[in-house]
Amino acid sequence: MGMGSGDVITPLIIGIMLGGLYALIALGLSLIFGVMRLINLAHGDLVILSSYIAYALLTYLGLDPVLGLVISIPFMFVLGFVIQRYLLGKGFAVSSETPLIIAFGISLVLQNLNQILWTPLSRGLNTSYSRMSFFVGERQFPVSYLLDFVAGIVVMLALRAFLTKTYMGRAITAASQDKRAAQLMGINTNRVYGYAFAIAMGSAAVAGTFLGMTFPFTPTSGISFLTIAFGTVVIGGLGSMLGTFFGGIILGVFQTMGGYLFGPASQMLIVYVLVLLILAIRPKGLFGR
Amino acid sequence: MGQKGSKERTTGIIAAIVVVVLAALPLIGAPESWLLYLLLFLIYFAMANMWNLLAGYAGLISLCQPAFLGLAGYAMTVGTWVGVPWWIGLPGGALVAALFALVISVAVFRLSGVYFAIGTLVVPEALRMVFYLWRPVGGKMQGAGAGYMVKGIGGLSSQGIYWLALLVAIGSVLLLRGILKSRLGLGLAAIRDNERCAASSGVNVFRLKLYTFVIAAAITGLAGAVYYLYQGYIEPSATFNVKWTMTILLATVIGGIRTEGGPMVGTVVVVFLYFLLARYAGYSLLIQGIILIFIMLLSPQGLVGLARRIAAHPRTRWIMISVRTGRAP
Repeated sequence: MGMGSGDVITPLIIGIMLGGLYALIALGLSLIFGVMRLINLAHGDLVILSSYIAYALLTYLGLDPVLGLVISIPFMFVLGFVIQRYLLGKGFAVSSETPLIIAFGISLVLQNLNQILWTPLSRGLNTSYSRMSFFVGERQFPVSYLLDFVAGIVVMLALRAFLTKTYMGRAITAASQDKRAAQLMGINTNRVYGYAFAIAMGSAAVAGTFLGMTFPFTPTSGISFLTIAFGTVVIGGLGSMLGTFFGGIILGVFQTMGGYLFGPASQMLIVYVLVLLILAIRPKGLFGR
Repeated sequence: MGQKGSKERTTGIIAAIVVVVLAALPLIGAPESWLLYLLLFLIYFAMANMWNLLAGYAGLISLCQPAFLGLAGYAMTVGTWVGVPWWIGLPGGALVAALFALVISVAVFRLSGVYFAIGTLVVPEALRMVFYLWRPVGGKMQGAGAGYMVKGIGGLSSQGIYWLALLVAIGSVLLLRGILKSRLGLGLAAIRDNERCAASSGVNVFRLKLYTFVIAAAITGLAGAVYYLYQGYIEPSATFNVKWTMTILLATVIGGIRTEGGPMVGTVVVVFLYFLLARYAGYSLLIQGIILIFIMLLSPQGLVGLARRIAAHPRTRWIMISVRTGRAP
C-alpha cells in the first residue's frame, strides 16, 4: 500500500484518504438501505460495472475517467431506476426476502457479464494524474487517494443537501421514515423508491470511477468491495450519510493501522473482525439511531 | 388419509428405486464423467437441503455456508497430515463446523433479518484471510496460497467417495423430514407463521433457530468434507468463496424454497446447466442468474411451486386429469 516510511502518521493519513473511497462506495448502499430496508447484494458489482464503463470510455474513446462521469452517471441512474422499477420493486410485493435474492441474481448476472465482456484479466484506469504523488512535508502520497477523499466528501455533501433541500429528497426521507404516512400525504412511494435507487446508482458510478483509478479491478472484485461497503455502513450505521462517511474513515484507518502494526497481509482480517465485533456489540452502528 | 398414505408410499417407492439405481451406477460401468456430475449433484443437493431448512423453514438467510464446508474440509485434510484417518476426519470436520456455528452464533444471532445476512456474509471472507495467514501444520507452502493435499485416503476409490456422497445426500433428506415432523419442526412452523405469537406461546425461538443453525452447519460441513476428499486438495480462495453460496442458493430457490422437493429439482437444474455449458462457465452462471431473477418474480416458490400452481389451476387440472385417464378433454 506504498508505505515506505516507518512512522505512524503515513498510514494514518492514507487510511483517512482511503476511507473517503470506502465511504463513496458505501453511500449508495446506505441510501438504499435507509429508504427501502434492502441490503443490495449487487451493489459491489454495480460499482465494478461503473469501473468497466469508465474503462471502456477511456480505452475506446480516450475519454478521461472524471469527464466520463458525464456519461456514466446518467447511464447508471437510468439502470438503477429500471432495476428498482421492474425487478426489485416487484419483488417487494412478494416477500421481504425476495428482493434480497433478486439482488443476488443481479450480482451473478453482472459478474458474469463483465467476465464475458472484459475477460477475467485485471484492469485499471490509468491517467496521467492518477499515478502522480504529492508531498506533505517529507511524506509522499498518491494523488488518486486524495481524489478519492475529495470525491467522497463531495458526494456525501451533495446527497445530504439533496435529501434535506429538494422536494424529491424530502419525499425520499419521508418514505424512509414512515412509508404509510408518506403515502397518506400523497407521496408516490414506488416512484420515490425508483429515484432513490437511481440516485444511489449515480453515486455508484462516481465510486466505480475513482475506485478504478486507485485499485486494479476484475469482474469478481465486486464481492470484496461489497464487504467493505457493508463494513462501512455497519460501523457508521445504515441509512445515515454522515455516519456512513465517518464509517468509511474509521474502516480505512483500522485497515492501514492494522497493516502497519501487524503486517499488510492481515489488514483486511482486522477489518472483518472489527465489523463482526461491532455487529455483535452494536448492530445499529456507532452512529446509528 | 388413505389417499395421502398411498401417495406417500408411491413417493417412497420411487425414491427407493432412484437410490438403488444411483448406488448401482458405478457397478454397471457408468462413465466416469457421469459419476462426477452425479457426485456434484449429491453434494450440492445435501447442502441445498440444509440451506432450505435454514432459509425456508427457520427464516435464517445464512450466507456463510462456505465457512462450514470449508472448515470441515480443512479439518479433514489437515487431519490426514497428522495421522487422523479420513473416516474420522469426515465426522470430525462436521463437528468442527457445528462448533464454529455455535461460536459465531454469539455474534450473528444478535442480528435479525438483513443484518443476519450481512453478518454471515462477512464470516467466509474473514476465514479466507485466516487460512491465507495461518498454516496449522506442515511448514512450507505447497502450491498457491495456504493449500493442502489430502494425504493418504487408504484405498478409498472414487466410487467409494461417490457412495459416501450418496449416503450424505440420503441422510440430509431423512434428517430434514425427521426435523420437520419433530417438535423442532413444529416450533419452526409456528415461528414462521408468527414469531411473536410463537414466542408468547412458549416456543423458545432463539434455541430452535440455534439448533437448526448448528445442525445445518454439521451436515453442510460433512458434505463439504466429502467434496474435498474427492478433490484431494484444499486452498482458501476457492473454498471460502461466495460461489458456493451462489450454487446453494440457486439450487434451493430455482427448485422452490420452503418446499421439500425444491432442492432436488433445483440441484438437477443447476448441475444440468453446469454440464450443458461446461465449456462456457461464465454463460452457465449468467443464465442461472437470469433464471433466478425470473423465478423470484414469476414463481417465488420455484419450479415446484409453479408445478403445484399449474396442477391446482381449474383448466389445466382438467387437462391433466383427462391426460391421466386417457380421455379427450
